[in-house]
Amino acid sequence: MSATGARLRLVSVSKRFVRAEQGVAAVDDVSLTVEPGELLTLLGPSGCGKTTTLRMVAGFEQPDSGRVLIDEQDVTGLMVYRRNIGFVFQNYALFPHLTVFENVAYGLRVKRLGAAVIREKVERVLALVGLPGHARRFSNQLSGGEQQRVAVARAVVVEPRLLLFDEPLSNLDAKLRVQMREELSRLQRQLAITTVYVTHDQEEAMAISDRIAVMQAGRVAQVGTAHDLYRAPRSVFVAQFIGRVNLLPARVLRADTGAAAVTLWGREVTVPADEPVAAGQSVSLVLRPESVALLPERAVAPAPEFAIAGVVRGRTFLGEKVEYAVEVGGTLLQAVSYDPLRHGLFDVGAPVQIACAPASLRLLRGQG
Amino acid sequence: MSPAPAPVSSPRAALRDPVLAPVVVLLWAAVALFVLYPVTRLLALTFWDDGPTLAAVVELVGSWQHRRALWNSLALAGLVGAAGTALGFAFALLAVRANLPRWVGTVLDTIVLLPLISPPFTAAIALIFALGPRGLISYHVFGIAGLNIYGLGGTLLSETLTYFPIAYLTLKGVLANIDPTLEDGGFSLGARRWRVFRTITVPLAVPGIANSFLLLTAASLADFATPLILGGTKFPVLPTQAFLQITGLYDMRGGAALSFLLLVPALAVFVAQRWWTERRSVITVTGKAGAATRVRSLSPGAVAALVLVCALTVLLVLTFYLLIVFASMVRALGADNSFSSAHYAHVFSGGLKAIRDTLVIAAVCMPVGGLFAVVLGYVVARTRFPGRRALEFAAMINYALPGTIVGIAYLVAFNDPPLALTGTAFILVICYVFRYSLAGTRATTALLAQVDPSIEEASASLGARRDVTFRRIVLPLIRPALLAGMTVLFIRAMTAISATIFLVSLSWSLVTVRILEGITNLELGQASAFSVMVILLVYAAVILSSLIMRRLNAGSLGQAGTLLGG
Amino acid sequence: MARALLFAACVLLLPIPAWAADTINVYTAWPESLSQPIFKAYTAKTGVPINFIRLSTGELVARATAEKNNPRADVIWGAPGDGFAAAKAAGIIEPYKAAGWGKIAHELKDPEGYYTAVSKNTLLFMSNAKLLKEKGLKPPTSWNDLLDPAYKGQIQTADARTSGTALTRILSIYYAFGKDEEKAFDYQKKLHANVQVYTKSGGGCTIPAAMGQAMVCIAHMPDAMEAKKKGYDMLTTFPREGVAAVIEGVALVKGAKNREAATKFIDWTFTKDMQDLLDRNEVYMLPTLPEGSVNAAVQALMKEAKLLPVDLEWVGKNRKRLVDRWINEVIKE
Repeated sequence: MSATGARLRLVSVSKRFVRAEQGVAAVDDVSLTVEPGELLTLLGPSGCGKTTTLRMVAGFEQPDSGRVLIDEQDVTGLMVYRRNIGFVFQNYALFPHLTVFENVAYGLRVKRLGAAVIREKVERVLALVGLPGHARRFSNQLSGGEQQRVAVARAVVVEPRLLLFDEPLSNLDAKLRVQMREELSRLQRQLAITTVYVTHDQEEAMAISDRIAVMQAGRVAQVGTAHDLYRAPRSVFVAQFIGRVNLLPARVLRADTGAAAVTLWGREVTVPADEPVAAGQSVSLVLRPESVALLPERAVAPAPEFAIAGVVRGRTFLGEKVEYAVEVGGTLLQAVSYDPLRHGLFDVGAPVQIACAPASLRLLRGQG
Repeated sequence: MSPAPAPVSSPRAALRDPVLAPVVVLLWAAVALFVLYPVTRLLALTFWDDGPTLAAVVELVGSWQHRRALWNSLALAGLVGAAGTALGFAFALLAVRANLPRWVGTVLDTIVLLPLISPPFTAAIALIFALGPRGLISYHVFGIAGLNIYGLGGTLLSETLTYFPIAYLTLKGVLANIDPTLEDGGFSLGARRWRVFRTITVPLAVPGIANSFLLLTAASLADFATPLILGGTKFPVLPTQAFLQITGLYDMRGGAALSFLLLVPALAVFVAQRWWTERRSVITVTGKAGAATRVRSLSPGAVAALVLVCALTVLLVLTFYLLIVFASMVRALGADNSFSSAHYAHVFSGGLKAIRDTLVIAAVCMPVGGLFAVVLGYVVARTRFPGRRALEFAAMINYALPGTIVGIAYLVAFNDPPLALTGTAFILVICYVFRYSLAGTRATTALLAQVDPSIEEASASLGARRDVTFRRIVLPLIRPALLAGMTVLFIRAMTAISATIFLVSLSWSLVTVRILEGITNLELGQASAFSVMVILLVYAAVILSSLIMRRLNAGSLGQAGTLLGG
Repeated sequence: MARALLFAACVLLLPIPAWAADTINVYTAWPESLSQPIFKAYTAKTGVPINFIRLSTGELVARATAEKNNPRADVIWGAPGDGFAAAKAAGIIEPYKAAGWGKIAHELKDPEGYYTAVSKNTLLFMSNAKLLKEKGLKPPTSWNDLLDPAYKGQIQTADARTSGTALTRILSIYYAFGKDEEKAFDYQKKLHANVQVYTKSGGGCTIPAAMGQAMVCIAHMPDAMEAKKKGYDMLTTFPREGVAAVIEGVALVKGAKNREAATKFIDWTFTKDMQDLLDRNEVYMLPTLPEGSVNAAVQALMKEAKLLPVDLEWVGKNRKRLVDRWINEVIKE
């Protein structure tokens, strides 16, 4: 099954409308490019505009301003059924009165392909999604995961130039979700169709995406690979949305290129900085829990590590890891240690030192 | 499961759809031509005489007779609404809450359907035979002489018996949907039966009760046939007065003006009823009424009382129909009770044209009206375009108006070229389609509310244009609504009179008009024979429809019944 | 397939030109049992088919009026005189004097020839023999007999708002009381106290009276005779003060599409052949052509009847006023 993915471009797309329970929802000046064959995820909390953006790409909604371009063709005003897309819905939207076979064959029948061609394509794609022999069943006879696969098969068999997923896994239980996302990812890579994927689950996004666009209140907060977003979030929102994070207030002493000297808990430390800052500016330092090491009180932290004294206030043992809440300078810090059976545990109330590499303290403008 | 979300696309977007736009235009054209235009012509006739004039209305309101008629119409409608709802409630309680054997429910449903599908006048005539001054029941059985069945009493009784099935079917659905665990909750908190009934069951049923009341009131306001026979001079009502003004006093303008007088309360009730059903409370939409919990809110004493009331009613209804059947089979009821097939012989010879004509028209109405109803329902429920609500409302006008108004309006509007439609079957079909397809439209919107719009979006995403989506996806899913709409149209086409009495012609005659003629000419045996034929035909249609519904897995007879009232 | 059905449906419903093959289209108020044999006789004689529809007088006039600009009917054949007065006022009929028109008495036709009586009719009292006997009453032979309290709630008669028979009654009373309108309406107010119900149609009280629901029914002669023919045990009497003679008429519709055929049909109406049918077919009305034969039963019946002649023109002008008076003074409660 060959598929050429198209390039998708959103140019300053905006939309305002009133949604029943949620007040005014908006997509605000969103511009994105999705490269051919790429899987881009729109990630964000509910109400951030990700689904609306997706539906505008599909044509179910019309933008108030801006353009949608597929392979440089302006499709903004084009009706849905002429855009040659595949859409997988959150609730699968299988046709209840048609068999699995007919569901999948639907798009092909609309195109008036011959019976033999249809049969061959449908059987092939059903095998591809792992549902051979289910052709005669009806959707109410299938489990959630199976319905999901049929929905995907149906969208894919018409060889669309764009594949759109609207939170397809949110109705499945956790284990199935993990299994399905792996299959979806594999399928997408095999077919190399340009895909836009919407989800609120950051783990899911990180697992399958080539790039992620984090959205907040209708705007794109940051676009990048999972690695980029995790390592270098450019806003507090992104930092807090992807993974867990400690946000430490600090003040800039001196600014250099790519770095800045800041005071943290009264101590000076030089940290990496992507954006220019001015001396005297209040900033936040992003510190991931796993970058926080716990040392016994009197241990000496190897230089150039930044170390400071603290007290363990909470401990959660989770088998492969143990999570600590450590009070440092009036703030409660989250720390995670792996392989605790090897490294031992600290008791609640124990005085400790927390240490981290200065490079793990990323500088963010603005407060937490 | 929460109801499917409303479509959010902007109204203007819908008009770009190359299929939707022409369909909307067509619908508007049809509605404008066959609903708005005739009413406007009628308005002109009444209120225009080389300039706007209220003369016709003033003359009417000045007449004591017409003022009396207005008051009578309102009073009668209110009483029928109350009495019919009460009776229907009793039946519904019995069917749903009294835990009687299943066959009782089936029998109730079957018998109760009879008044809904009978030709007009049936109850009135039977009532005169049965309870008149020398009535077969009142005099010959109970020895009460001189009972005056004419006037408010007789009309009220006849209309109540004719319309209570609507209340029954509506309330049956409502009661059946009330979660019995709610009542159990009441019991578990120590409340006794009457209290539970009064404070839990009845309040939960209030939306259904209010709905029934309004439906029955509307039906009574528009009822032209029963008061024509039973009203007498002492009890004039508006629809009959309008008819008589034209046909008795040769006063077209006066009749039209009277119709408009009736319009005000009729529309008010109609709007109230629509508004009420639209703000349905959530409670009516739980499921699982067949749960194992035994429902106990009726004491054996209460059940016995209900059984008595219902049995009496059923007996009365059955007697009426038996009287009609009997009258059709004897030479002259009351005078010569010897068996005779003369009446049926006439029905099948001289009357065959009327039967054939009526069947042809009913048969044509079904697909035309059914499709119209479904397309309208879909367009109104699923799309957004400017003027959508206006279209929905306009399409309902002919239904809300009493039949006499519609008939007169069509007569006035479609006689002259280029729209010289009087005298054709076309005008009869159109009249029925625009008057009785509301049931199909409502059934469509109700069914569509249970279908997630994402299914249609999925179809669109797979390359299907909107008409393809409609044909392949929507239509199969709303087949029951189409069937219900067609069934109602068939029933109405076979039994309607108030509008179409003005529209029969030299080429096309209708059975109901023949029945009225028979009554007028005192050929009661013949009228009865025609009535029996209509009842049999309509019953057969309803059973057939019910069977198909069952095969489509879409609920029972009750649905079609409610739609008959709605 | 669907397209074919749709096409067939449309064809089926197209208005078929009503003037195909020289048919005559007739609106009549007479019951089918009476009108159809007469129309059939004409068709048998001339081969011209007659397409007719039976409507009540008022419906008929209303229909024809609405169709004014594009009339469907050619002839209005068989309807009470007051209907024709209204039709003339509405401008939907045109004058046509058939051959033989001159032979018709002047009180039986419109002076300008707009409409002519095909038969003469009157009303009578129809009483239930059994009920009378029970109450020990003799059948009423005077208008004043009906004011007897013994008849309270026992009289049924036509409603003037819907039936021409009622107008016959009002006129009868008017003429019987020597054209004194005040006395006539005074009488009617008193009569109202004894009336059980006013029926929609003229003959609407015959069956109820026959079945014992009322003692007396004031109805047109043909209706009463029909009931008697059916076998009901009824007595028929006339009030000695007299009853009005009213007409059933015929007129040519203005702008009739089959005018030629229609006029020939009207001509035939005023021949002995047709008038004799009133007798032969037991229509129970009097012919208007002097040479028409009178049905024996009718003759016997009308032996005691005193027929009062009616001024058609006066009736035409005063009909509405009389009916309005009846509505506003007699039945008002």
